[in-house]
Amino acid sequence: MKSKKIISFRRQCKGATGTGLSHYIMLAPKK
Amino acid sequence: MKKVKYANTGEGPNFFVLDIGLEDRLAVIEPDTAFWALVEKDSLREALSGDLVSEFESKKDDFKKEMEYLRFGLTPSAVYFNPTERCNFNCTYRYLPEEMRRSGKTMSRQEVEDALAHLRSYFYEDLKIKQVKPQIIFHGSEPMLAKDAIFPAIETYSDDFVFGIQTNGTLLDDQDISFIQKHGIGVGISLDAPVQEIADKTRKSWSGKGAFSKLVDVIDKLSSYPGFNVISTVTSINVRYLPEMVDFCDRHNIRMIMFNPVRCTQKGGQQLKPDDSELALYFLKALDRVYEIYQEKQKKITITNFTNILAGIVGPTTRRLMCDISPCGGGRCFFALSAHGDLFPCSEFIGFPEFKGGNIFRDSVTDALKSVPFKEVTNRKAEDIDPCKRCAIRHFCGAPCPAEVHSFYGKLNAPSPYCSFYEELIRYAFRLIAEGRHELYLWEDWQEDTIERYRFGI
Repeated sequence: MKSKKIISFRRQCKGATGTGLSHYIMLAPKK
Repeated sequence: MKKVKYANTGEGPNFFVLDIGLEDRLAVIEPDTAFWALVEKDSLREALSGDLVSEFESKKDDFKKEMEYLRFGLTPSAVYFNPTERCNFNCTYRYLPEEMRRSGKTMSRQEVEDALAHLRSYFYEDLKIKQVKPQIIFHGSEPMLAKDAIFPAIETYSDDFVFGIQTNGTLLDDQDISFIQKHGIGVGISLDAPVQEIADKTRKSWSGKGAFSKLVDVIDKLSSYPGFNVISTVTSINVRYLPEMVDFCDRHNIRMIMFNPVRCTQKGGQQLKPDDSELALYFLKALDRVYEIYQEKQKKITITNFTNILAGIVGPTTRRLMCDISPCGGGRCFFALSAHGDLFPCSEFIGFPEFKGGNIFRDSVTDALKSVPFKEVTNRKAEDIDPCKRCAIRHFCGAPCPAEVHSFYGKLNAPSPYCSFYEELIRYAFRLIAEGRHELYLWEDWQEDTIERYRFGI
């Protein structure tokens, strides 16, 4: 990354966008 | 169509140039689309009049659609369920008024089950969700005071919901821990400092006693459980201990921790609000410590509220928490249920009756979501707030939190009391990306959970 003069990228969520959670339980076990 | 050559003139995009605290790099940002590029200082001219401009122009409609969906197209997927108003602790920065926490309402087992039946009907019949199970987070005051009501309900509804419990941890016994692990329940334990004298200062029982050693015992029992995290509420009392708290996580094998600045929704919280610059200083030191521990031991400790800010930059839709986005998730991605069955946009609003939008036992959830108080929250946008509407990073912090802002300023359209703290977090996140260190701060399955949709580099 440091070797580039300009760098930009963007990723997307693969599944449902956002878990809908506020700032508490972030990563409940997947079921 | 005319080919756009320059940023900031004519038809060109408006690129803000942001100092990120590096000698040789700047960030270039288009705020509305949350588009960014990191640019060598000597290459700024190229960023404002070269291929980056045409690249942005070719992708901007996709970026806009993505932001539009994220900000206005989502439906609820989680509920903060407060089964009791009571708390066995009397924390200095409590979020609910004292009379509620001392002698308030606790739901019966039947009431909890009835409320969940209404919620199941809302999610599966009204919303017709199919892909992902909705999440129910039992929340406080102290939800474990109602464990005789919520544990049987969890068993009854385990096929319908994913469950979580946010607790002060003081009432958890070995049987409860086994139940939590057996049913795959997410669990967050509150601990504010790595040393007893500080941790027990703000979190104490009605008789004034803290519970540090009990909590360390609970944490050690839960540390290998994947659905476990610790939440530290950061105040002027414990702010200097954040880096040491990272070492505490290392010693006790805590993999995920949140350093949540105390919400200024009640007077106690406002009085303990840490100074923004001091908070930024120690929070960033804690983030530095995460890197050092990884270098020493290859051990990853995730400070999850920072992770979310970083995720919002590397991919707006990859964020997991919906506080640092505008409008916030309150009333649109999640909502809260009080012990009386009243519906609020978020638990942070439960102390404010004017934000009640309905009652789960009497009204439809769909109608509550359309109510005036809910709409006030879901219509709160960074574009309508000064100075957020002029801010390059408005979609990275999201002008949080409306309940806190309302309590602090008496209106919703004002910036966060922690505005300058968020500025520093976001600059730090850009420095990590510029230095190629950001992946260490994202969650374990980050690469698998997300996909790269765009990349530009010269």
